[in-house]
Amino acid sequence: MVCERKQCASGDRTEVGGVVTQQPPKSKTCKRSGCLHRIKYVQKNKEKDSGNMEGAPAKGVLSHLSLLEVKARSRKTQLQQQSRVMELKAKVEALKTQREQLKAQIQTHQDLQKLRLAMDKQCADEEEENMEEESENSKLLRLMARHTQLKDLLHAHHLIGGYDIIKTRKGKGACVSIATAYEDVFLDTFNLEIDLKPTVKISRHNIPPFIPLNNLAEQNNMQTDLRVFLDTLSKHLNAFAGRKQQLKLVKEKHKSVEVMESNVLCSLLVLLFTVPREKTAVLCTLDYTDHTRCLPTRVHLESEDKQLPDSPQWKKNCTLLMETPVHKALITMKKMGSIA
Amino acid sequence: MDNTVKRLLERLVRRIPSRMLKTTLDKWSRLTATQRQSIDYTESKWALTEKLLAICEENELTVKHIAELEMIHVIENPNLGMWHAFQLMDPQDDAHSVELTQFKEQFKSHLSELIRHVSIKIKKHTDEAVWIRIAWGDTFSRPNHLKPTYVVHYLQTPYVFLSSLTSKQKPLLSQALVLSTRYQAIKDANLSGRKLTAIRDLLMKQYLQVFPTKFPSPLAERNRVVSNLHIEKEQAGSAANRHQMACEAFGDGLLPQLQSAVYKLETKFRDHTNKTMTERDEPFRCVVKFASTNLLESLRHSASSGVASTPVTPLLSSVPLKGKNYFVITDNGPGPSSQK
Repeated sequence: MVCERKQCASGDRTEVGGVVTQQPPKSKTCKRSGCLHRIKYVQKNKEKDSGNMEGAPAKGVLSHLSLLEVKARSRKTQLQQQSRVMELKAKVEALKTQREQLKAQIQTHQDLQKLRLAMDKQCADEEEENMEEESENSKLLRLMARHTQLKDLLHAHHLIGGYDIIKTRKGKGACVSIATAYEDVFLDTFNLEIDLKPTVKISRHNIPPFIPLNNLAEQNNMQTDLRVFLDTLSKHLNAFAGRKQQLKLVKEKHKSVEVMESNVLCSLLVLLFTVPREKTAVLCTLDYTDHTRCLPTRVHLESEDKQLPDSPQWKKNCTLLMETPVHKALITMKKMGSIA
Repeated sequence: MDNTVKRLLERLVRRIPSRMLKTTLDKWSRLTATQRQSIDYTESKWALTEKLLAICEENELTVKHIAELEMIHVIENPNLGMWHAFQLMDPQDDAHSVELTQFKEQFKSHLSELIRHVSIKIKKHTDEAVWIRIAWGDTFSRPNHLKPTYVVHYLQTPYVFLSSLTSKQKPLLSQALVLSTRYQAIKDANLSGRKLTAIRDLLMKQYLQVFPTKFPSPLAERNRVVSNLHIEKEQAGSAANRHQMACEAFGDGLLPQLQSAVYKLETKFRDHTNKTMTERDEPFRCVVKFASTNLLESLRHSASSGVASTPVTPLLSSVPLKGKNYFVITDNGPGPSSQK
């Protein structure tokens, strides 16, 4: 746009060869400072119709060119629209196939669930499985159902505090984790790494040396019957953890009872009781010769007062110590007034 | 006063640091309250020795009592001196039910039978360890209390730890130990170190071992330093993998402090570019020794940082796995075949 004020030398020549662009200028005041002349929006050589080509002056050719430009632009957008349409169509196809896949997955899952229910019911009822002629698909389905059943069984075993077993080294080894618990409290976890090929052999473990691991492996034929070996080992470890916990509780909760002797395996416990009033000392020996149990196999009482171990009260205490875990037995004995 | 008593007491007062002298003397409980109060622990060691000698003469204490004091000090500071581990082999049927009084009696009687003049002191520590102090004499001379041997054993485990034993005394002690623990033989476990607690923890598996597991404990979250989110470690995956393998081989957390590992090679020389060496018939003898303030920690770090290749070579991982730090490697089998 040219500022029309003759005195203005701003030279704001936005006109392009006399042809004015469609858009009116944003500001209608001449930018040159001092000149406040409002620029008139002069539409020089307004666009004529497209038809007018021949004999048009220079300005007409240019306007025609601009017309062609506009046309070309609109064609491009048309093309873009077309390719966009194809893109979207392709996407629709992809989404349709995905939907089909998901539908198939849901169907398999539902079939699997039905099959699992049937299998679980069969296991519960202990019926004979009827193996009719099955197609490849249903065989596969049955196998998958059995796999999920076994996985759930292993998980349940883990939850009740049994042992876990996982594959290591691509099937050549296994790692067993045996959890121990006593009175609903989880205690230490012990681990064994076993080589499965070429022979079944223990390669690494963190089981303390007073648990006769190698003896148990031999006696229970670890090579042929791994489960029996693991069950026996689990019994030994759980019993040890239980006895150890009992000793800990006796030391914590019964400070009036002195622990005279114990050992790392917790298979022997000698306690010193004090009888209230008379202040006689009673020495109590608890032998846990069965290492798979948390209760003693023998209770022996000794006292300065020779009559005491034969008294009915102390005979009852003896039975109590044979049948109840020691920390609980001591509570009862204190209540009955046998010991301080 | 008896010269031995004097010398023993002098040596002991020199050895015990001043800050621990008071507690050790209190534990000894051979001094009366007034005597204990009269000792000024800020005096020089020489002055303290004179004072204690006077008190001991007053109480008519013999060398046996001083030996007691020494034993208390050694039990409180088991990480001094050099300890060697031995393993009892082939337990008899009643090995698992050996209890303390039986062991004490048997050991004393067997050792006294084997050697006329010997002074034995046995004490049970709170952590179930049985400590034995032996002062050796012979047919003609009285027991030498200045060079005692210390033995540590946990009943129901096959391990015995010895300190300061000469080769002449070894067969006598071995015989006494084997008979009193109801095993059939004893052999060198090829594990030695300055810290008794370290070699004990290694053999009794009292350090944190890492095993592959499906259910990692959620409470074992390590407090990871929250690093800058804009910094990404390029090889984080392989670094984590190396760290896992290093921990599986050596353990996690604080490791038992071993000071050295010795590999004695008796293999044929195998470098084909050196004909003179390969042509020899005799095996190539070479001893490789790794020394460190904390050997297992150094080995674990070298594996996790990539200095040692992972998976960790059995030569290195045998140290914690077999609980040995002396290996003899021959050509017979793959990996270390310790024959000694």
